[in-house]
Amino acid sequence: MLLALELGVAALALVVFLLGLGRRRDSREIGLVAAVGLAGLAGLSLVIDARGPLFDGAFVVDGLAVFLKQVFLVATLLAVVGGLGRPDAAERHRALEYHLLVLTALLGMMVLASARELVLLFVAFELMSIPLYVLAGFAKKDARAVEASLKFFLVGSLSTALLAYGLSFVYGVTGSTRLDVVTRSVAGGDPLLLLGLLLVLSGVGFKIAAFPFHMWVPDTYEAAATPFVAWLSVAPKAAGFAVLLRVFVEHAGPPAALWAGAAALLGGLTIVAGNLMAIPQTDAKRLLAYSGIAHIGYMLLGVAALSPHGAAMLLFYLVAYLFSNIGAFMVVETVAQTEGSTALRTLRGLAQRSPALALAMLLFLLSLGGIPFVVGFWAKLYVLWAAAQSGLYGLVLLAAVMTVVALFYYLLVAKQMYIDAPARSTPVPVPAPLALVLAVSAVAVVLLGLYPGPLLDSALRAVTPLF
Amino acid sequence: VAALGVNGAPVLSLVTATPFVAACLIMLVGRTRPLGVRLIAVGAAAVTLGLSLYLYLAYDGAAGGFQFREQYPLVRALGISVELGADGMSVLMVLLTAVIIFAGVFASWTVRVRDQEFYALLLTLVTGVFGVFVSLDLFVFFLFYEIAVLPMYLLIGIWGSTGEVRPQGIFAWAFRETGVGTKEYAAMKLTLYLLLGSAFILVGLFVLYFAGGVNSFSLLQLSEVTFTPATQRWVFLALYVGFGILAGIWPLHTWSPDGHASAPTAVSMLHAGVLMKLGAYGVVRVAMTLLPEATQAWAPLVGTIAVVNVVYGAFSAMAQTDLKYVVAYSSVSHMGLVMLGAATLTEAGLNGAIFQMFAHGIMTGLFFALVGLIYEKSHTREIGRMGGFGRRMPGIAACFTLGALSSLGLPGLAGFVAEILTFLGAWQSASRWWLFPAVLGTLLTAIYVLRVAKRIFWGPLAAGPHGEWAALPDARGPEWVSLVFLSAILILFGLVPGLALSLVDPATVALLDRIGVLP
Repeated sequence: MLLALELGVAALALVVFLLGLGRRRDSREIGLVAAVGLAGLAGLSLVIDARGPLFDGAFVVDGLAVFLKQVFLVATLLAVVGGLGRPDAAERHRALEYHLLVLTALLGMMVLASARELVLLFVAFELMSIPLYVLAGFAKKDARAVEASLKFFLVGSLSTALLAYGLSFVYGVTGSTRLDVVTRSVAGGDPLLLLGLLLVLSGVGFKIAAFPFHMWVPDTYEAAATPFVAWLSVAPKAAGFAVLLRVFVEHAGPPAALWAGAAALLGGLTIVAGNLMAIPQTDAKRLLAYSGIAHIGYMLLGVAALSPHGAAMLLFYLVAYLFSNIGAFMVVETVAQTEGSTALRTLRGLAQRSPALALAMLLFLLSLGGIPFVVGFWAKLYVLWAAAQSGLYGLVLLAAVMTVVALFYYLLVAKQMYIDAPARSTPVPVPAPLALVLAVSAVAVVLLGLYPGPLLDSALRAVTPLF
Repeated sequence: VAALGVNGAPVLSLVTATPFVAACLIMLVGRTRPLGVRLIAVGAAAVTLGLSLYLYLAYDGAAGGFQFREQYPLVRALGISVELGADGMSVLMVLLTAVIIFAGVFASWTVRVRDQEFYALLLTLVTGVFGVFVSLDLFVFFLFYEIAVLPMYLLIGIWGSTGEVRPQGIFAWAFRETGVGTKEYAAMKLTLYLLLGSAFILVGLFVLYFAGGVNSFSLLQLSEVTFTPATQRWVFLALYVGFGILAGIWPLHTWSPDGHASAPTAVSMLHAGVLMKLGAYGVVRVAMTLLPEATQAWAPLVGTIAVVNVVYGAFSAMAQTDLKYVVAYSSVSHMGLVMLGAATLTEAGLNGAIFQMFAHGIMTGLFFALVGLIYEKSHTREIGRMGGFGRRMPGIAACFTLGALSSLGLPGLAGFVAEILTFLGAWQSASRWWLFPAVLGTLLTAIYVLRVAKRIFWGPLAAGPHGEWAALPDARGPEWVSLVFLSAILILFGLVPGLALSLVDPATVALLDRIGVLP
């Protein structure tokens, strides 16, 4: 059953739809059903071991696809459960729409991870993107959310246009929409084909929010609902990297050196820009938005390395980033529920108000900052390792120095939590679903930090056939 | 894997893990039991002290090399394993760390605010320090290095003190804007400087790993590889800068006076006493051991910067009005002597460097403990306001004078042995002129420490802001433990330098043999 997971997500979406039809103001059940279904699918993805191509090679289930699908499923599961912890929010009153859109976007990502044909790839890309625009403006009475949604939509449409334009060149030159044919033709060095591929790179650059295609990120993150943002900051990015891996890395021969340079440049710029712009932020979500941009830069180095280790580190990094970033956003959400704001100052003295919450946030921040014994360290290390292996020593030094800059602003947050005195001494209440998400993320961050070997091995196994 | 300890006990992992286990225990049980927290901390410090004494006694100096070996795989795909082992130099450094933390636990007895977290972080930091000294796998070495650096941020940020010296001069506004002099500023500066250093170290280690081609970070395996001269040159520079930042080399030393002056007592003791040594240890253990040709090529630069450190640090110390800054700058000056000894590439010089690491670690630990006590009792660090304290606190005055005498190199105290060996080494080295600035530095040291000691302890008793200094108490209770303990070691190692040198010398000779400069 090669399509089992996709069919499962589609079925789950239908179930949610049918369940929601009968109710006017429905609440938790739909979210719970979605969460249970996602958990089941995530479990299913571990047991199914069917591998192979489908539809004449347009759709492929290989190690990479399965690994990415697991990332999508886990990220969505955490976000849906986290969303249950929002009392009285739009997600709850219009649970049908919300969860249907999330699951549809998820379906798009799942197909994207397997797509090896340009039309399928494009359709999946859109299936993922369009629900995201709607979700960004889900709180439709909130002017900021609508603005964020519009901005996201306009930039996203531009990126789609770039992608489609680039793909048209690719098709025009190669006469085929199949990626294996395209890859073989690259060796011919046709400039139009290279132009097409560069356009694809920029189109995806918008989606993963690489500098200078990042402008939509901070505004959208700031205005949209936090559990959704947590998901938005991870899953679609992972999907973007799925495209990059499929188009640019899989079976890429020597000509790949061309866009390895482009990816390295993009990565270096993104790291520098993201980190520098994060420094002056005073809002936790904006800070995480810019720091997320910097992380995308590090992941791009994995594409630039063009080696099994580079691709494996990209997957490892995605997992590390998933737990750390979703965790950090969920802490922000928890505090914001009590304080009514996501400003950084609301975190002041958190260590004395809610030591466990502060410790969780510290773990996530340290992981994002790349400190030993939490998973982010291995991610950063593995990036630098893979880039060094490919001889990119200059970039390695730049990236290593920029991690120090990143630690500066992460430590400033830690300072607010641990050093500054709290404005109030009452503990911050943590709703049960959020507590669950935080606990899972924190445990994952620490466990993978202490014992990264198995994940590293499985990432390496997943990508080795690509080369 | 060679023999594990004498009884097969994993002594090195025990030493390394004990403080961390104690830290976890403290976090679990200590919320409402301040005495329990301290007892656990003292217990852990005593256990590590006992274990490191055992290491010291059990180390077979005649056999030399790395002993007490242990090895556990960590990340097979990258060839990383936890490989522990200690030679004479590491054993001495482990002993130093154990002594300082033992004294430090007593010196911070009076921490009242959030004491549970304080002791937990302090002990975690110590685990990092032990780990660095006993790791033979460079990657694990690096991991422990990071653990030793990070808790510092919170330790200084939460429990540190902001000095009374306010920024003056035409750039005062800029200093005020950035918060220069506050503990938050010092904590951030220290952390970022040291992490910047670790970025250089990491890149250097990667180059060694890939250029070595043995798919391993093991020091022993890498030391069998001969790296090309170009690789050696650049990697040495990266490691020298990286470790050098921690060792306080000029002009990258400015984090250290700020950090040490703002840190709480035990953290200053540990940082100036042990962590800066960790930088020097890294240069000797990793850079000089693995890159012999580059060591010879860069030695003139390293030595020259070291003498700048000695003189510049001494002059800076002379100009300070805040007692803690005086001691902090004196550390910069003495770390210059350590690096100078290493750069001479002579047996005497290198032995002197390592002995200096030990002697200065003990001495500066004693100094910071004393400064902490003086501050706690008089609530000032301003030298200008103090005077005649010797009448009220004779014990503290005696210990301070002892430390001062060791600092300026009085025969019979540990500092003398270190300095005379370093000077001998400098004279035997290729650049004899190093001797003169080094001796000048010692002279300057004599001037500033004696002046400070005179100002604080002798003469008529100052009244204090509200006349309350007439009732200044001497040290008491647990405070005595650290003072007596550290003073005794200063005298002991001064009278019987062989206690350390017999351990260090085989390691030194082996290293010089590797570099190829033995006559």
